[in-house]
Amino acid sequence: MARVLVVDDAEFVRMRMRRLLAEHGYEVVEADNGLSAVHQYRAEHPDLVFMDITMPLLDGISAVREIRKEDPGASIVMCSAAGQQAMVIEALKAGAKDFIIKPYQPEKILEAIGKFMHKGEPH
Amino acid sequence: MSGIKVEFLNPFIKAAYQVLEQEAKANIGKGIPSVQESYFTLKDISVSIGVTGKVQGTVLYGMDERTAKGIVSAMVGGPVPIFDRVAESAVAELGNMITGIASGELEAAGYPCTISPPTVIAGRGTIISTVNIKRVLLPLNTQYGELEISLALQERLV
Repeated sequence: MARVLVVDDAEFVRMRMRRLLAEHGYEVVEADNGLSAVHQYRAEHPDLVFMDITMPLLDGISAVREIRKEDPGASIVMCSAAGQQAMVIEALKAGAKDFIIKPYQPEKILEAIGKFMHKGEPH
Repeated sequence: MSGIKVEFLNPFIKAAYQVLEQEAKANIGKGIPSVQESYFTLKDISVSIGVTGKVQGTVLYGMDERTAKGIVSAMVGGPVPIFDRVAESAVAELGNMITGIASGELEAAGYPCTISPPTVIAGRGTIISTVNIKRVLLPLNTQYGELEISLALQERLV
């Protein structure tokens, strides 16, 4: 089963993503900060990551850099409410594949999965 | 005291409409803006977000608990009998989304800025000082009750 890592410090966001992804047959692992995301990536080897930007301990863009150091092929999509152009460019330069601006639209999430999912299919 | 630029208000109104309509299926009516002199929170729940950059200051989103429960209930798609951690996280995210979208608009208008993670304050009467920046209050009426957006923002000139 394809595995998705959802990284967001907002419990509500993780809950909503968990519901959506589970409904579509994906296994979901979660992290509530960038540091935990790096550890979870190492431990769980997810096929795709949805990453928030502003988080405690380690921000999302720094977490992308850390993950990409270990796995240059990592598929990471940024999800953030802060849609400033400079931030989008910085995230893409760090190695994110795409940038989704909140509020979440389920179709955008599923579209990103279709485009960037590494391997595996939902059950 | 410094006044707030009118061009700082519209991005927040526009973003609030977008987020409330999309997230909470809210029908929104705009109230009359006013200048707030009080240092006290007048609503049960307030979400505070800092803004730094070419625009700096604080944005507060205030609502009564009944309103918060109504909005969160629409966001999660089910009843919210108690204002728990998930509900707290949902109102924080609501403020985060509105401020995030507005900050993108401000950047496009020539005022690049970044926003801090939201802080939720529960309880009326908490003192929140915005130091020497006046607050402009933008009330939005929804079927869940009133959401007050309080903007204490000023342009950073140096």
